[in-house]
Amino acid sequence: MTDAATQLIRRQAEDEFAEELAALAEIDDKQRPPNWKLSPWATLTYLLGGKLDNGFEVRPKYIGQRRLIEIAIATLATDRALLLYGVPGTAKSWVSEHLAAAISGNSKRLVQGTAGTSEDSIRYGWNYAKLLAEGPSEGAMVPSPVMNAMRDGALARIEELTRIPSDVQDTLITVLSEKALPIPELSMQVQAVRGFNVIATANNRDKGVNELSSALKRRFNTVVLPLPATAEEEVTIVVDRVEALGRALEIPAEKPALEEIRRVVTIFRELRNGKTEDGRTKLKTPTGTLSTAEIISVMSSGLALAAHFGDGTLHPSDIASGITGAVVKDPVQDGIAWKEYLEAVVRQRDEWRDLYRACREQL
Amino acid sequence: MGVHVYGIRHHGPGSAKSLALALGQLRPDCVLIEGPPDADALLPLFASEGLQPPVAILVHEKDDPTAAVYYPFAVFSPELQAARYAVEHGVPVRFMDLPIANQLGLDRKKNDDEVSKVRGDPLAMIARAAGYDDSERWWEHMVEERQDGREIFEAIRFAMTSLRRELAWDVAKGEAESKRESMREAYMRKTIRAAMKEGFEEIAVVCGAWHVPALVDLPAEKVDRQILRGLPKRKVESTLIPWTHGRLSVSAGYGAGVRSPGWYHHLFTARDDVASSWLVRVARLLREQGLDVSSAHVIETVRMAQTLASLRGRPLPGLEEMNDAIEAVMLFGNVLPLELVRQELIVGQALGAVPGETPMVPLMRDLAKQQKTLRLKPSATEKVVTLDLRKPKDRDKSVLLRRLELLGVPWGVGGDRGAGLGTFKEEWRLCWEPEFAIRLIEAGVYGGTIDVAAERYPLERVAQTEQLASLTVLLRQVMFAELPDLVPKVLAALESRAAMVADLTHLMAAIPELAQLVRYGDVRGTSTEVVRDVLDDFITRVAVGLPAASSGLNEEAADEMFAHVMNVHGAVGLVEAHKDLWFDALEKLAGQESLPGLLRGRAVRLVFDADRIDRDEVERRLAYALSTAAEPARAAAFAEGFLRGSGQILVYDEGLWAVLDTWLQSLPEEAFVTLVPLLRRTFSTFTAPERRQMAERVKHGNRREVKRAERIDEARAEAARALVERMLGLS
Repeated sequence: MTDAATQLIRRQAEDEFAEELAALAEIDDKQRPPNWKLSPWATLTYLLGGKLDNGFEVRPKYIGQRRLIEIAIATLATDRALLLYGVPGTAKSWVSEHLAAAISGNSKRLVQGTAGTSEDSIRYGWNYAKLLAEGPSEGAMVPSPVMNAMRDGALARIEELTRIPSDVQDTLITVLSEKALPIPELSMQVQAVRGFNVIATANNRDKGVNELSSALKRRFNTVVLPLPATAEEEVTIVVDRVEALGRALEIPAEKPALEEIRRVVTIFRELRNGKTEDGRTKLKTPTGTLSTAEIISVMSSGLALAAHFGDGTLHPSDIASGITGAVVKDPVQDGIAWKEYLEAVVRQRDEWRDLYRACREQL
Repeated sequence: MGVHVYGIRHHGPGSAKSLALALGQLRPDCVLIEGPPDADALLPLFASEGLQPPVAILVHEKDDPTAAVYYPFAVFSPELQAARYAVEHGVPVRFMDLPIANQLGLDRKKNDDEVSKVRGDPLAMIARAAGYDDSERWWEHMVEERQDGREIFEAIRFAMTSLRRELAWDVAKGEAESKRESMREAYMRKTIRAAMKEGFEEIAVVCGAWHVPALVDLPAEKVDRQILRGLPKRKVESTLIPWTHGRLSVSAGYGAGVRSPGWYHHLFTARDDVASSWLVRVARLLREQGLDVSSAHVIETVRMAQTLASLRGRPLPGLEEMNDAIEAVMLFGNVLPLELVRQELIVGQALGAVPGETPMVPLMRDLAKQQKTLRLKPSATEKVVTLDLRKPKDRDKSVLLRRLELLGVPWGVGGDRGAGLGTFKEEWRLCWEPEFAIRLIEAGVYGGTIDVAAERYPLERVAQTEQLASLTVLLRQVMFAELPDLVPKVLAALESRAAMVADLTHLMAAIPELAQLVRYGDVRGTSTEVVRDVLDDFITRVAVGLPAASSGLNEEAADEMFAHVMNVHGAVGLVEAHKDLWFDALEKLAGQESLPGLLRGRAVRLVFDADRIDRDEVERRLAYALSTAAEPARAAAFAEGFLRGSGQILVYDEGLWAVLDTWLQSLPEEAFVTLVPLLRRTFSTFTAPERRQMAERVKHGNRREVKRAERIDEARAEAARALVERMLGLS
């Protein structure tokens, strides 16, 4: 590992898990679709984790229903594109990145969808200096990540597909059905090499997004990623991710007690579901999504606080501000919901006294 | 040469296919099937043209038809395929399980506990060992979805032998394991030996996989004789009845319910590509529901299902792969329509049919005949039928449904003459349940035809029924079912029971039904005069006894009495008789201090509504009941009785509004403050929109009071009449 690599805040999946990918490729004797770096079975193991025959341990990347990942991989193995759908923080981009890393060995062919995403970023643009000097030529053309993926027979990723304006979205129809990208200026077209496909993500919480046209929708298989089904599952996810992030960010604090994570997971789940886990108390639901991703960020910022400003151990006061910030997105409505929850639930739990006090101080 | 044992799973389509193949190769001269020998005589029917699976063999005790056992068979049941093969090839075929005649005698509970632990699902242990959490799925992947099933029976025998050895389930050790299980297996062996002795050379034995090891190696004959000694025996009868796919999906008879009979049916019957034809059916169903599913979707879904299957290491896409693919490709991740697919296709709504020559109790035969002449076919899905009683055929249908209802066979539900339908229309919801067969057999003791049984059966019920209200319901049923001879008998019973009744509420409960009968009578022209006499008697007795019966009731009893009073009040209004008598009684209630507040408040209100007392008087009584000296709880109850359920009326009835308004305004401030909680108790029962309307009204002050005219000006009324008639659609 070079110095430059360790300097990065976050490394792409294919770099961070290079060792696992190599180990899987070594033992992978199953049939691979054209231009796939791993077979579908090995990809599945990469995503879900497991112990290889030679004793090598693959860490799980996605914790949840196996069948969803199976559907996702099977989709990519046919020539249909994959749309990962769900509320924010349900590991859509995460799954997309790891799928691309495992299948194409490269998750960097990425288009970030925004309201300002233009056709250029999905098709191709021009280097205008060259264009003026040489006229339209291949050398003056700036290919998009999608076009590169088509040429290389690899996966392209499109994040937040529904934020892209509808007319720009529809550029994808030709790409996905004809598997070709015409370049009328040069009277030529780029044809996709086998192995090319698209993974898009979209979230169903936002309002004012651009719904996919039915022509485009038809080209995608949809996999809805749900919020974790059980508290245990969610705790596992948080523990795993917080640990990994802590290592990556070199936070010197000791790893958080499982108990603390369980408490935060409980708070988020109860508020999200609008009732306590024992089903006895009805709660107001705040406007935020309160996803697993937010729990992870609460925990890691808590850790950073503890390490740099505290005594290195995680105390309730370190996470209180994080929780409050995640829950209270709308100062009026959410503030009421959060206060009610503190008084009606947190305060009543004897072993939660410290957390109650810490959260009260934040208000 | 010898005995060939085929281990199958009950209702396993793969087993059925493999078995049919194996039998074709073996060409046995005798087929023995795990099933009740009591029903041997029914076996030839399995190859009959008229038999449409799913059907069930029903074996019941002769004297007590409720002691019954069902053995359901679908077209994909290996047992049915084996029986068909045998009958079509002219080979002797028999059932070989322990006869129901004997099984009914055994005490179920005592012997079954042990079995349920292991036998409940013996395959579950193998499935767990193979890493599946669900034994049905394991069996499906290993056996049912297999394309080539020739060696499967050998494999099953091997697996089951090892399993039973692991569990130390020894054939000869009858005592330690379940006694009943060992008896069943002993009887199966006995049947096999008998067939061998008769000189059959190639005997095919079809049984549940679990039993295979016990039937392959036959122990000494005397061991079995020992086990089977001293079996109790009951008299039983058996018949074939139609069954449904819905009923197959729950545990019954064989204990082995299947979760997806519709899918199995498809697996077994689909000639060409199983996946494509299934998904085409799914697509058609979804299209009917208005979902856009194109042929391109179907193609993509098939490819997706196949890819998923190969990713999961399965030879062919199973139901799970189908559902996953449908969800991702056709439904864009929306799982709700899948529930519809489950109901309509995966489980399915098929209802079987039995051939005409099936031995049936006369009552069932009569029903089948009437169903045919009336063209009222049973179906497993609910069907709405509207009958016009002026048409003779519809009238006959209605009578049939009502008589069946009398006999405890609610094939048709409803039959009310709905308000919008007019008096000559009846709306029925028809849905046939397989269990109805057993009720028909039970009712068979009352007569050979539905008409005769319906004449006799109510008499027995009359003798057993004590409740007046149930008797009045019976009276209605009898009248509607056109059994005029029974009416006097039920009425006589009603009168004699009423004479003995001490509790007035029982009489009151019986009144509404009688009033309905008198008021709307019977479209069929049965005279209701006799009913009216009884009703008159009841109302009189209630009116006389009510004041005494109402005092000293606790809150709960008062609440109940409140409902009764309202019902009788409605009934009196309906028949328009005895009004004076009734209102006298109510007035007495209104003046009775010791009465529960709830009843008193309502009595005041009812006499006020009927203009028996004027507004000033009501105000006076209201003020009196709610004055500060009154006990708060009683006062609140009075207010509640006065106003309960009257939110809308309060908004629109000037008179009532004015009474309350005047009274409230007359209150001094302190008195008002103390009364607020009491009033709140009543007002909080009104709906939010009602309360808002009231508040609006208070805010905008009193509207102009509408004066009721002293005398109607005919000439002016005539001028408006034409327009009103047009608005009401009368002209």
